Amino acid sequence: MTSFQSTLGDEPGIAEELAESQQSISIAEFFEKNKHMLGFDSGARGLVTAVKEAVDNALDAAEESGILPDIYVEIEEAGDYYRLIVEDNGPGLTKESLPKVFGKLLYGSRFHAREQSRGQQGIGISAAVLYSQLTSGKPAKITSRTQGSEEAEYFELIIDTDNNEPEISVEETTTWDRPHGTRIELEMEANMRARQQLHDYIKHTAVVNPHARLELREPQEHFKFERATDQLPAETEEIRPHPHGVELGTVMKMLAATDSQTVSGFVQEEFTRVGKKTADSIIDEFRDRHYGREMRWRPPAAHENVDLEAAVADATANKGKEATAAFAAAIADGVDDYDRIAYHELLETVESAAEAVADDHGTTFGDTVRENAVEAVWLELIDAVETDESESDDEGDSRLVADLSDLADEATSTRKDDEVIHAFADRLAATFEDELEGDDDEGNVRHRLTRDRLRSHVDRAADLTEEYDDVSFGETARENVTDAIWDVMATVPDDPPLVRELNGDRDATSDLVDAMRATDIMAPPTRCLSPISEELITAGLEKEFDADFYASATRDAGVSGGDPFIVEAGIAYGGDLPAEGTGEVMRFANRVPLVYQRGACATTDVVKSIGWRNYGLDQPGGSGLPNGPVVIMVHVASTNVPFTSESKDAVANVPEIEDEIELAIREAARDLKSYLNKRRSMQQRRKKQNVLGTILPEMAEKVAEVTGRDEPDIDDAIARIMNNVLVERQVEENGDGTAVSVVVENNSGTNESLEITDIVSAEPTALSDGATVVEMDGEWFVKWEPEVPSDDEAALEYEVPDDATFDLDVKGVESEKLTVNQ
Amino acid sequence: MSADDTQEAREQLIDLAAQFYDQFELGEIPHMSVPTRTKNNIEYDEDSDVWVYGDRESTRSANSVQGARKLLKAVYTIEFLAEQLEADRSSTLRELYYLSESWDNEEAQFSSQDESNSLVEDLEIVSGVTREDFHMRPEESGATIMGPLHLREQTRRGEREIHCQEDVGEGGYQIPNNPDTIEFLDCDADFILAVETGGMRDRLVENGFDEEFNALIVHLKGQPARATRRITKRLHDELDLPVTVFTDGDPWSYRIYGSVAYGSIKSAHLSEYLATPEADFIGIQPADIVEYDLPSDPLSDSDINALESELEDPRFQTDYWEEQIELQLDLGKKSEQQSLASRGLDFVTDTYLPERLDAMGVL
Repeated sequence: MTSFQSTLGDEPGIAEELAESQQSISIAEFFEKNKHMLGFDSGARGLVTAVKEAVDNALDAAEESGILPDIYVEIEEAGDYYRLIVEDNGPGLTKESLPKVFGKLLYGSRFHAREQSRGQQGIGISAAVLYSQLTSGKPAKITSRTQGSEEAEYFELIIDTDNNEPEISVEETTTWDRPHGTRIELEMEANMRARQQLHDYIKHTAVVNPHARLELREPQEHFKFERATDQLPAETEEIRPHPHGVELGTVMKMLAATDSQTVSGFVQEEFTRVGKKTADSIIDEFRDRHYGREMRWRPPAAHENVDLEAAVADATANKGKEATAAFAAAIADGVDDYDRIAYHELLETVESAAEAVADDHGTTFGDTVRENAVEAVWLELIDAVETDESESDDEGDSRLVADLSDLADEATSTRKDDEVIHAFADRLAATFEDELEGDDDEGNVRHRLTRDRLRSHVDRAADLTEEYDDVSFGETARENVTDAIWDVMATVPDDPPLVRELNGDRDATSDLVDAMRATDIMAPPTRCLSPISEELITAGLEKEFDADFYASATRDAGVSGGDPFIVEAGIAYGGDLPAEGTGEVMRFANRVPLVYQRGACATTDVVKSIGWRNYGLDQPGGSGLPNGPVVIMVHVASTNVPFTSESKDAVANVPEIEDEIELAIREAARDLKSYLNKRRSMQQRRKKQNVLGTILPEMAEKVAEVTGRDEPDIDDAIARIMNNVLVERQVEENGDGTAVSVVVENNSGTNESLEITDIVSAEPTALSDGATVVEMDGEWFVKWEPEVPSDDEAALEYEVPDDATFDLDVKGVESEKLTVNQ
Repeated sequence: MSADDTQEAREQLIDLAAQFYDQFELGEIPHMSVPTRTKNNIEYDEDSDVWVYGDRESTRSANSVQGARKLLKAVYTIEFLAEQLEADRSSTLRELYYLSESWDNEEAQFSSQDESNSLVEDLEIVSGVTREDFHMRPEESGATIMGPLHLREQTRRGEREIHCQEDVGEGGYQIPNNPDTIEFLDCDADFILAVETGGMRDRLVENGFDEEFNALIVHLKGQPARATRRITKRLHDELDLPVTVFTDGDPWSYRIYGSVAYGSIKSAHLSEYLATPEADFIGIQPADIVEYDLPSDPLSDSDINALESELEDPRFQTDYWEEQIELQLDLGKKSEQQSLASRGLDFVTDTYLPERLDAMGVL
């Protein structure tokens, strides 16, 4: 190395030479060489990515203007290339912004906004334009018409990769049949090998955007996805950053830009979810970090040989005997009122004592007197009064040792014996005493320590204890002792620095960032998010999958890195879904389907980690994707979805998000489970009913044959056997009329609520309680909705004239569980 | 059997079917209760000195698919038995099993002979009519009697008078399925010696033990059939002959003694009719293995389990059996009857049996 250095020294021109070849790179050039980072790594994939970017943009644009999206995608072969056309009914783009949106990378309205949207960086569509011009050499052809304008604008443009600016080759006005919207036409080298992914993308988009109408026409197939709802997703609002999610650099930038004077004003103005109270908590946390806390010591107890009054009296000169005594007594009482007292608390006590005594006695206690009194008392409290050597020996340990020893004893495990604790406390007290002899004149007489410094004291005392007493004093014990002491220490009342003082002070700002993170702050508001909602997830699934069962769950918002997020899950099961093979997982981020890199996605990981057997699905080996006719969808909505790469194919494994994904899926899966259980038990019941339905009549027939009697009536027995609900009509001649009773016998293990309608051809009278009757076209509808407990009966009774006919309709009980005997 | 008995048995069966009929009519779930046939549900009946079923009952109910099938089979079987009685025919248990194949309803067909056997037992218990009265018989068990007994048997081909020594070959007199058709005419025997294995029976006959000691040698052929137990009981009750049982010295053979003396678990409802509580056990006793220094095999795991389960069997809870079984568990050995041959072919007739019978007070 040294020889090389000397060579460098010999040829002074080389650094300059190297510097000459260094130059800045345009972002466009960078992505030109790194197409894969944006999802354009192959012809097959490039086409899907281009469709995805164009459709995402179209949906965003339409939704933002409150328009129900209507999007047309066409792919056609054009010689050696493919031509992609995407049309939307969005608001259109102005003549000025249009070239930049399509012809400049990293141009967009989204990047700085904390708001859920599909696009974020302003890369996607311009990357598609870039890819098209690179592979086909042809410009992008864009038509756009804004609402109310007579004509549409037509551009042909490419991106000048050297300076990342649009280069317009054609600019003219044209006519277009859409009243407003944008149309982009790109030609690119591509192939249709990723047809399945393309279809998935469009289909999945339709699932999570039930308010959009989508149409896809490609060389072989043609799909239309109609709307399932006319309800646009709730509009999102931009939010300020959340204190938990900002980094030091960001805060430094914000401090430079803010109009606020104070830290309190700054945090309230610039962050979301920070009010006066939260600001105060942040500032207290900041004080603890920036200034440290002051140690609070116990005031002397009665048995201790400490006379605060005498100390004050000694330190106070020329104030008259009575006033001095009153002053001393007031201070001593004041101190005694505290369980523990810190230096600044002592200051306050002395201040108020001085004022009180001044009012009573007319004697003024000036600053010097007060200072003397404070010092006298404090030195007594921390046992630092200078005394003769011999005397101090008699006294034994310092007060601090006893105090610290009690704290340490409580904080450490009972296995440490008292002597060790005492020795440790002795050493720790020594570190406090050492604080007195600081670098500056006074030393740290106030015992003001940051937590780090306190910890280093504890470490030192613990190290010494380990060394001399041959015991272990582990990490946990040290941390516990530090916590115990830190907890009794008092936050200082010092004012925090002003914003302008903080601005540029990296260390203090870092303390502020730490303080914000340490403070409990409400999760960010979710109005910046637009979850699909359980109802619409179900609607979307119902629209695209013909299944037997649908479930969905929308979780409450969580926070990850200051960005709020919401996870939603949906499950479709059975029906026409393919029963063979593994179930399908649909992943979405901000309503955009994720098609590629399934294996790298947190969503897939979570789905695989769930024990699906618990939910009644088949899962070979007990882990991995479940088998069977099931579709699982997961939607992560966030102001900043953490993707694994710029091509936005997979959600990164962020623990907070993974947890919520799991909870959302489990919530929906619980509904699936109870559906499957119920279905299974109904199946068994049906099977049992089928078998018994043949066996019992045969048995009855045989019994009748053997005994030579008529065949017995077996319906009641079957209802009992099946634990069924038996509804039976009994009709009895009753003089001039007929008494009817409809008896419900509940043989099942649960309470049953039935809705019974008896349609009678003559007017019923003497109706029993709880039943109502309505006449319609000469028929009387007797309605009765009894709740019948398990193993109980209820009866509906009425009277009708002779010759009446009846028709019973029973609802509220599964048909498998119901036996009706008219 | 008289025509009255047949008629009564038939009525009992039809009553059973009528019971199901009434249950249907009342809207009840058809069901039939029978005593639980396990060793936990047998108890000693002090009046008759035999073991009978206790109070625990199992219900065969149409509540479940399986229960319903069972009842359907029961009704089909009732019909078959009623018809059989009417026609005064009889059939074997095995025939019943195969006959079910001809029933029009597949659900009613038996899946194994155990199932049909157990159903016939159920019907016996519920109706209070024995299997013999249903005209159901097992396969001939082939059990025989050899000894100074003169009897008259009512056969389908007329009456036969037989002397069980003089009118029979070496094989002896074969016990018919329903021994109640036998009338005892004359008997010179002093006691009954029931023997488990064919080899030992042949040895005793060859050595002329029946003639020398005036013994009726009953060949049990393993676990004795009902007919064998029934005739043993009748010989004991009617001719006042002491009964002794001579088996191998292993747990399975003790059960053979148990079913002769106390009744079997599966037919405890007939104990009074089949069991001979006064029967005595000759051996091989575990003590004999030591005393006569018999060749032995070690106890297998299943032997040990069987011995332990016998300790819990109420039929074996007597001082004698507890002592013997515990001794055997200590020894860890078992011996066959024929191991006595290790001391010579005549040892059993000259020494062992006379000594044992003397000790038991039979001789």
